[in-house]
Amino acid sequence: MRFVLKTRYGQDIDLFRHNGQRFWYALLLVALLAAPWVLGDFYVGEVSLVFIYAIAGIGLMLLVGYTGLVSLGHAAFLAIGAYAHAWLLNHGWPFPASLAAAAAFTATVGALVGIPALRMTGIYLAVATLAFAEIVEQVITRWESVTGGYRGMAVPPAELFSVSLLDVDVFYYVCLAVLVACLIAALNLLRSPSGRAMVAVRDSEVAAQSMGINLARTKTLAFAVSAGFTGIAGGLLAHKIGYLAPDAFTIVLSIQLLLMVVVGGLGSMHGVIYGAIFIGLLPQGIALVRDAAPPAVAQIPGLEPGIFGAILILFLIYEPLGIHGRWVKVRQFFTEFPLYRKATHRRQRSYLRTERVR
Amino acid sequence: MEVLQLLISGLSLGCVYGLIALGLVLIYKATETVNFAQGEVMMLGAFLAYTFVNVLGWPFALGFVATLAVMGVVGALLERVLMRPMLGEPPFAALMLTIGLGFVLRAIAGAAWGNEPHTLRTPFAGDVLRFGELVVGTENIAIVLGTAILCGGLYLFFRFARVGIALQAASQNQLAAFYVGIPVQRVFALVWALSAMVAATAGVLVAPVSLIDPLMGFIAIKAFAAAIVGGFGSLPGAIVGGLIVGVVEQFASRYLPPGFGDTSAYIILLVMLVARPEGIFATLQRKKV
Amino acid sequence: MSFFAAEALSLSFGGVHAVRDVSFAVEEGEVFSIIGPNGAGKTTLFNLISRFYDPDAGAIKFGGEDITRLAAHRIAAKGIARTFQNTELFAHETVLANLLIGCHAHRRTHLLEELLFLPRARRQDLAFRERVEAVIDLLHLQGYREQTISALPYGARKMVEVARALCVAPTLLLLDEPSSGLNPEETEDLSFWIEDINEDLGVTIIMVEHDMNLVSQASHRVLAMADGEVLAVGEPAAIQSHPDVLRAYLGD
Repeated sequence: MRFVLKTRYGQDIDLFRHNGQRFWYALLLVALLAAPWVLGDFYVGEVSLVFIYAIAGIGLMLLVGYTGLVSLGHAAFLAIGAYAHAWLLNHGWPFPASLAAAAAFTATVGALVGIPALRMTGIYLAVATLAFAEIVEQVITRWESVTGGYRGMAVPPAELFSVSLLDVDVFYYVCLAVLVACLIAALNLLRSPSGRAMVAVRDSEVAAQSMGINLARTKTLAFAVSAGFTGIAGGLLAHKIGYLAPDAFTIVLSIQLLLMVVVGGLGSMHGVIYGAIFIGLLPQGIALVRDAAPPAVAQIPGLEPGIFGAILILFLIYEPLGIHGRWVKVRQFFTEFPLYRKATHRRQRSYLRTERVR
Repeated sequence: MEVLQLLISGLSLGCVYGLIALGLVLIYKATETVNFAQGEVMMLGAFLAYTFVNVLGWPFALGFVATLAVMGVVGALLERVLMRPMLGEPPFAALMLTIGLGFVLRAIAGAAWGNEPHTLRTPFAGDVLRFGELVVGTENIAIVLGTAILCGGLYLFFRFARVGIALQAASQNQLAAFYVGIPVQRVFALVWALSAMVAATAGVLVAPVSLIDPLMGFIAIKAFAAAIVGGFGSLPGAIVGGLIVGVVEQFASRYLPPGFGDTSAYIILLVMLVARPEGIFATLQRKKV
Repeated sequence: MSFFAAEALSLSFGGVHAVRDVSFAVEEGEVFSIIGPNGAGKTTLFNLISRFYDPDAGAIKFGGEDITRLAAHRIAAKGIARTFQNTELFAHETVLANLLIGCHAHRRTHLLEELLFLPRARRQDLAFRERVEAVIDLLHLQGYREQTISALPYGARKMVEVARALCVAPTLLLLDEPSSGLNPEETEDLSFWIEDINEDLGVTIIMVEHDMNLVSQASHRVLAMADGEVLAVGEPAAIQSHPDVLRAYLGD
């Protein structure tokens, strides 16, 4: 265990607690920068996909993990970002401007979804986001002049500083750079009044209000920022999959995104990264199982979502704090050995937090 | 005449939404959890009935009763094994869990019965009744009648059975109900069993209209619209909400441009949430400070 | 004109009069206690002042301004802060984070500055931190600074709530049963802190309280309520022996 002697308040504001942390994160960044030289093209592509998931995860985590608002429709924001980006590229916009505009557009849609959400809590909101996603799917299918409808829409090849993004390594670096920028922006938000307001709204709406926090503004902002990040991820995803069709953005994808933040660990940005790695690798893992399993099992339709569902259930029952929570406990066990007590992390149950009063 | 025709098919469709919504509301009222796997529970019920009636060749009535019995047990088991550990956890966790459950049930159904659609053999499908120019499928009549009978039964159950009162108490205050000696956990298991039986009935009634396959549970998303229109806390509201959603959907697919039929339920849902989130039968109020 | 005044406030829930025609005035620098049996309407009165409820009739005046129809989140910026009867802290956060949220009403940065954490955002956070540390020193919360709320004993949570309210930098502080759940020593400490907050910081205090020792020790004037109506207002000693008050507590 490391004790940090704090001599300035600024140390609590900084993103890194001490030089040791700075060193390890720098080392991680160097390793990630060097990765394309070591890994084959296939794996570079897979890691890029993990980065994209992580960017979307940042958005969803801000909403679910920090503001306490559930969205079952985040695939819709991913779709809006992807289609907007592809459409703008098709109309001759350069890559950075198009990605930024797609993010801004998605954020605006997010704010619009957030406005009715102000009057709802919990399940109502979850159901509303689900309905929103279904409507977006229909709009994409029917608005053929823009989206190509069922036929889909090709994503034009893009360039950044006259280097083609079709190159796997270039795309990898772009995704990495965007992810780092998004992470820093999210962490900045969380150490500022707006981010703290989100946490306050999550934990107690009445107290938040009496501290001067505008519930409406905070929830709308959370939706907008969350959608914005997810829109950026959508834009990058468009390049990754190359061809957009409505069936790429279904409720299954929304649930996969939720699975990411729950499995990673709600209420922590580390959790986003763990979760993204997890759902990035899971299909590979399932493919391995499929190869090994007898054909009767391997050919079950819907096996993959089924396994997603089972993992989700197991995590919710046995480790609701996700991978990050488990890691914190393990670390604490070793640093405090032999004094560690299981009860330190005993969950507090609340039986009376009903949202309704008759 | 066309209007009447649409109205009838809308009402019978609405009964199905209403029945699924009824199951949702039952669970929500008692446990404050929303079961996102309600459609999958319905799907499971339909597949079970198919197994008893078509595969094993039992008479329909026997197969139906057996389905109800098995589904009751399944519902109680789901509560005991999955939902009880979530008691006292934030509602969000339980909600996510039921979503996961839906995916698992769909995979199980795919493994057990395959992905191709099946037709349930029923005594009430395939015929039509003619009233002048009006042509009504017997399966539509069966849906409406079945729903009416089920609702009557439930009404009597809640009106006269002690369990019904216990359920009311548990839904208002879990801890207080526990303190005054109501076996809250057993009440919850019972509610899940009841809700699964209602869902199974919906599955059997809808089977002749929409075929049985692992994806049939997705219509439960539209049942959410029904439940919300009805106020999410009211059992009659769920049925009325279902009827409204069903009728609007039929008219929207006929008279509005393509796409509106499929989305009408969601549009109703969003409009309702913005305009009158407490539903047409208001039972919810603000949280107390 | 008074510093704070409630004028003929009334509110009923479905035919039950929670508060009926309640008027009182509080002068600047006063500690003003509201007592009464359970269900007298004390907390409802607080929720009216914090603007969680809209009164059916009447007006709330603060610093010469009518705040009867102000949105709940605008109250803090006016200089009114409150605590809650059963504590409403941000349970998954540290004490420090809770107190920083208390500074929210003084936010001057906009979203872009915060996303990029420009120097202005850092300066603002440092200023918030200075304010928080001053409150931590005043209420001796140093030992709890980095602890999560859910790990704190109940007495400490009550004090953290008072501290969070002070971070708003209020001129009027509403304390809803500050001593409930505290042991006698903690209650004793509380009465000194109320005195400090009132005299050193110059904060006017309105508190709802059941502990009559604390009320008579700490407050200048007392208002007694029963069944949503005002029974009497006056010095603590006079209220304690007031016949109407005794009848409300002891029955006829």
